[in-house]
Amino acid sequence: MARNGLRADSQNLRGTNENLSERESSSIGSDSEINGFTTEKQTDKYGFIGGAQQHTEESAQDVPPEVVREREVKWLDMLNSWDKWMAKRHKKIKLRCQKGIPPSLRGRAWLYLSGGKVKLEQNHGKFQELDSKPGDPKWLDVIEKDLHRQFPFHEMFVSRGGHGQQDLYRVLKAYTLYRPEEGYCQAQAPIAAVLLMHMPAEEAFWGLVQICEKYLPGYYSAGLEAIQLDGEILFALLRRISTVAYKHLKKHKIDPVLYMTEWFMCAFSRTLPWASVLRVWDMFFCEGVKIIFRVGLVLLKNMLGSSDKLKVCQGLYETMELLRTVEPRYMQEGFLMREIIELQVSERDIEKEHLVQLKRWKETHGELRCKSPPRMHGARAIMIADPPTHKDLLQAPTIIVEPPLEDASSKQKKKGKNKREPPSNPTTETLSPAHPPSPTLQKDTPLQQSNQSLSSSSTEQDTYL
Amino acid sequence: MDFSWNYRFGIIILGDSFVGKSSLLQRYTEGMFDKSRQSPLGIDFKVKHLEFEPGILIKLLLWDTAGQERFKSISRSYMRNSVGCLLVFDLTKRQTFERLRDWYNEVIDYVKPSKMVFILIGHKCDLEEEQEVSKEEAERLAKELGITHYVEASAKDNLNVDSAFESLTMEIYELFHAGRIPIREGWYGLSVGVPVDLYNPDEPKTEKSGCC
Repeated sequence: MARNGLRADSQNLRGTNENLSERESSSIGSDSEINGFTTEKQTDKYGFIGGAQQHTEESAQDVPPEVVREREVKWLDMLNSWDKWMAKRHKKIKLRCQKGIPPSLRGRAWLYLSGGKVKLEQNHGKFQELDSKPGDPKWLDVIEKDLHRQFPFHEMFVSRGGHGQQDLYRVLKAYTLYRPEEGYCQAQAPIAAVLLMHMPAEEAFWGLVQICEKYLPGYYSAGLEAIQLDGEILFALLRRISTVAYKHLKKHKIDPVLYMTEWFMCAFSRTLPWASVLRVWDMFFCEGVKIIFRVGLVLLKNMLGSSDKLKVCQGLYETMELLRTVEPRYMQEGFLMREIIELQVSERDIEKEHLVQLKRWKETHGELRCKSPPRMHGARAIMIADPPTHKDLLQAPTIIVEPPLEDASSKQKKKGKNKREPPSNPTTETLSPAHPPSPTLQKDTPLQQSNQSLSSSSTEQDTYL
Repeated sequence: MDFSWNYRFGIIILGDSFVGKSSLLQRYTEGMFDKSRQSPLGIDFKVKHLEFEPGILIKLLLWDTAGQERFKSISRSYMRNSVGCLLVFDLTKRQTFERLRDWYNEVIDYVKPSKMVFILIGHKCDLEEEQEVSKEEAERLAKELGITHYVEASAKDNLNVDSAFESLTMEIYELFHAGRIPIREGWYGLSVGVPVDLYNPDEPKTEKSGCC
């Protein structure tokens, strides 16, 4: 009921928002700040006003700032020589994704992991080209109507026609032009919106392309065959993970699409508390779709995995009611992450089951109508399939990190001569991921490799958490 | 909240994208209108308890669906477990009216041989000046398809929303009692819960009362 009240309130506020945002056409900062929104409603650290996404506060784990700081340094180092890390120390990247990517670098890390960064570099100007085209009215009409329905309580998307909604429109429209045969699927909007919370429109576009084509190919295509097939795979995998849950769903003939469609199509972004969404996405970008399967299996196992729990849901509708509102304790960040990491479901398991289910599908439904590209299981597979040049992986702007103070001074003396970073060139990090760095900064940034930048003497510029 | 229900009906709401299916459902089950709610992807459902005759409690399970064409292959899964269907079009978008016949045929085809009881809803009747479909025309279509009720409703202004859902419920109830809706094993469209004569709110008698 409290949630209802909140909705009604923000409706009123949105009214004022609409008027104000017309005048504020070239504003900085988030839409909600511009309109004095934050003074009236509490925005949580993820940008949700009034904590609208699933008990986020109590579900989140607190990482001490000094740990976050250390992680940032490690991530910057990895990003600075991404190809080497991916080739030689992929396990370490995986481990660090499991621990959670530091919020300040999450957007950039996602773009690197997904191969979106490489796509962007190899297709310079493509997004701008698509962005300037008019687009097919058939899709634009649907996209426009969907804009205000994506995370309406996130500060970025709260105001009609605000920055967030505008960018969402651009990204989704660009995709329909990029893949006219695919067009727009309504489930792409939440995916694009989550990306936009972490990166500017052009990057979000390539992130979306990678998700639609590499991670979850066919999910958004006409006919939605791929998602139905994955539903069958999920169900088959459940048999080994929780026989009790499997038998129950089988007995009551509960079709997997009844409970897993939104989970999978939105990569749980509409289901889990926000802290957990971000951690799941960190791992998903690194390890691929198996993470999505694991989350699904963990939830099913916990909700339906004992005969006690099943006593109260004898029937399709009773079970659906239970599955619709996942108990918060099963989605709590720490609990969920442990369960996902421990669950033994590998790429091979999924691929094996995929073949079985595909065969069965063909027997019952005939050939697949949409031929999707093969699924890539995570960052490494994508990189192997699409090898980047070193130039593709350069960061713009480059972030220079200074090693801890005591040895910084000694290294400074030793490497002083090799210094390539002009001290007068402050490479500043933009504060909001939604606002791209200025083009001049990108141009002036010296091209460096990470081992150089690590020992470089310039001061650390990546100062926000 | 635990209820002992006497009957349970599965009801599905269908129609093109943006005709206001979710808004109707939200108005009916939560008594509110919020144009910014997230659109359902795949499946969502709501529950409503209705006591339309003293001592007879009906539980409605209302399936909300994504209207976009490509989600149709998924909507089929829950058509099967419904006994009633609200077929919705947007009074201000003629195209959504013209697609009703397709929706209707698709449902009939898919649920065969089960019975499906329909109600036709012309939505957004608050936008009087923009209407592109007349009442006569919609009534004619309803008659042609054998649909008993046609209702013009508005979730925004709360016009005829409750009565639309209630007319459908009543019709299903009456058809069931006339023996026109047979119950089959493994079909969840219509279920009988606590027998009406035994029903006592303080002392639920059957196992089924455990879950609401």
